[in-house]
Amino acid sequence: MAIRPFIFVLPLLGAVAGAQSKPVTIDFGGDPTEIRVVNSGILPRLRNPNFQAILKVSLDQDGAPALSGDYEMKGGALVFKPRYKLEPGLSYRAVYSLVNEHARGAFTVPKPKVAPSTVVERIYPTAAVLPENQLKFYLHFSAPMSRGEAAKRIHLFQEDGTEVKLPFLELDEELWDRDFRRLTVLFDPGRVKRGLVPNAEVGLPIRDGQKYRLVVDAEWQDGSGIPLKQPFVKQFSGGPAVRSAIDPKEWTITAPRGLDIAPLVIDFPRPLDAALLQRFLDVVDGAGQLVKGRILLDKEERRWLFQPDRPWQPGQYSIEVVSTLEDLAGNKVGRAFDVDVFDRVDQAVTMETVSLPFTVAAP
Amino acid sequence: MKQVLLVGIGVLWAVAGWGAGLSATLQPGKADLKSAGPLAFGPDGILFVGDPMGAQVFALATGDTKAGKAPAVNVDGLHEKIAALLGTSADQILVNDLAVNPASRRVYLSISRGRGPDAAAAIVTVGEDGKLAEMNLANIGHAKVALPNAPGADEKDRRGTPKRLEAITDLQYLDGKLIVAGLSNEEFASNLRSIPFPFRDAGAAASVEIYHGSHGRFETNAPVRTFTSYKIKNQPHLLAAYTCTPLVRIPMTDLKPGNKVKGVTIAELGNRNRPLDMIVYQKNGADFILMNNSSRGVMKMPAANLDGYAPITAPTEKQGVPYETMAQWKGVEQLDRYDNSHALMLVRAEGGALSLTTVALP
Repeated sequence: MAIRPFIFVLPLLGAVAGAQSKPVTIDFGGDPTEIRVVNSGILPRLRNPNFQAILKVSLDQDGAPALSGDYEMKGGALVFKPRYKLEPGLSYRAVYSLVNEHARGAFTVPKPKVAPSTVVERIYPTAAVLPENQLKFYLHFSAPMSRGEAAKRIHLFQEDGTEVKLPFLELDEELWDRDFRRLTVLFDPGRVKRGLVPNAEVGLPIRDGQKYRLVVDAEWQDGSGIPLKQPFVKQFSGGPAVRSAIDPKEWTITAPRGLDIAPLVIDFPRPLDAALLQRFLDVVDGAGQLVKGRILLDKEERRWLFQPDRPWQPGQYSIEVVSTLEDLAGNKVGRAFDVDVFDRVDQAVTMETVSLPFTVAAP
Repeated sequence: MKQVLLVGIGVLWAVAGWGAGLSATLQPGKADLKSAGPLAFGPDGILFVGDPMGAQVFALATGDTKAGKAPAVNVDGLHEKIAALLGTSADQILVNDLAVNPASRRVYLSISRGRGPDAAAAIVTVGEDGKLAEMNLANIGHAKVALPNAPGADEKDRRGTPKRLEAITDLQYLDGKLIVAGLSNEEFASNLRSIPFPFRDAGAAASVEIYHGSHGRFETNAPVRTFTSYKIKNQPHLLAAYTCTPLVRIPMTDLKPGNKVKGVTIAELGNRNRPLDMIVYQKNGADFILMNNSSRGVMKMPAANLDGYAPITAPTEKQGVPYETMAQWKGVEQLDRYDNSHALMLVRAEGGALSLTTVALP
């Protein structure tokens, strides 16, 4: 790792070893920050020294425990690499003591001033009318965010400005993707599912015919601890609950022509889950090979477009639909979110796939 | 490698068998945790750590098997103390879970140092003297098992970084098996897995289905928030609380890969409430369950005759197993058994200050 020029060099505050021409000093610098003890006359001559007892680096607070990290002798200097990156804006101290050599130093890691730039880029579903049994939102951010604040930064308001109390499932874990740029927000399933106490007592968080504003606070900090550039608002209306299974027979498939690069288009009668539309629909050619390409969503997730990497060849293809595809209310292919009858229970988990054939005609 | 990312010691287990002590089966080296989530202790001082960001579970040989003597552990200003130990500010510390080593009574905390995607994972211990120390993960006996990919997650790989990730909401070791509850950030599916330990294969997920009350309605895919184990008529059961609040019982024998499991609702715990942790204990010869909740405080309920209550078939509050709310405790975010007569609580005061408190079991 390249060490940047050292930012701070703090001179010795304690006594100086008698034999040394230069005083022992402690330097802080580099990225990630390292701590170096230089000019010691004794250190280079030690065999198997207990470095932890010689150099202690900690927060610049009395009684703070020593930070863990790696010690090594490098070019006559003792170098300490903290296990974790030191925190911008915080002050640290180093205390060195070996026989008659003593030194102390303190260092504040510079905190760059960064103007807020992170925003909510988009939200799914994009529809302006959501079923009153809507199950989840996906919030997409322009940069990585921080964990631990979601519950207090997302609000749902009714048209008169009244905030809907606890509409969402608050999970300490928070359902982020790996790079913390997409957050999944689940409505409280106890309120959405029929036949439960929360549903019976408090009811659905969204009501058919009512208008709502979903608001994301600008105070929410991104992964660098900087607030969002601006708040985000999605306005929508509640619509009738959707309580039936997805039926692929109701889909309209518009097949492209051969030797064309135009997308395959599927239109759904109701919006489907944006994330699952990326995973649970595949195009397979007549030989059973997966066709590679790019997926686009349109018309408030009622339209799925598949742009192949290579032109279509005339012949038979199929769309393979994994039955765990969901609509906005968690209804799946062949099975509604909450089912009234319980005599149709499958005894084993089966990953069913529905195959929808289509033909690419000759040009 | 879809199924198993296990350190290659399967053969070694077969040779070593169970007699040599489970810790001996763990290979020394760096336990490269991407995150440190739910914790659970197994036998022989083995600590299981859920690593949701790495989509895996670790088994760590703590070597911490000497019996402890301290009657209680109490630590105030926990955020600040952990922050000082890890060299950061208190607002950069998230305490994800707490577990007491039943062998030593030492307290283990899983920590995120930082709040962004590059947050470091750490395990911090609290000794009998209340002193904090960081567990050295650079060279520790360990094994890990990858949680298998969800259906369709492979397909996404070909189109770029998959966005699907599964939160691990709870885990527990029981009779040679590690039970892991997960919640996907995409499909609303429940994943309750039973993974044999020593690890060989995370196996196919057992998808849990649950009956809910009125009109004989049937419900699929109810994610588990927290659970504990308890024997009902000598048969091991899971007592599980769902994200949608009902408490259910599930026979362990049903948790086979590929099975659909029907949990029987035995209590409804009220609206606007999330169950957080559960422990089972004995007092005066009777068994009880203690459970902390997000908004309904700490509940105590009798664990006897859990099969004697008729399954709940209507959404009526306080039906099923009766519970008593322990008004003396507020802000309890984490709960574990400290010893036979005490519980350890992670408590958040109104101002946000975090402390560890040992209390007598009620």
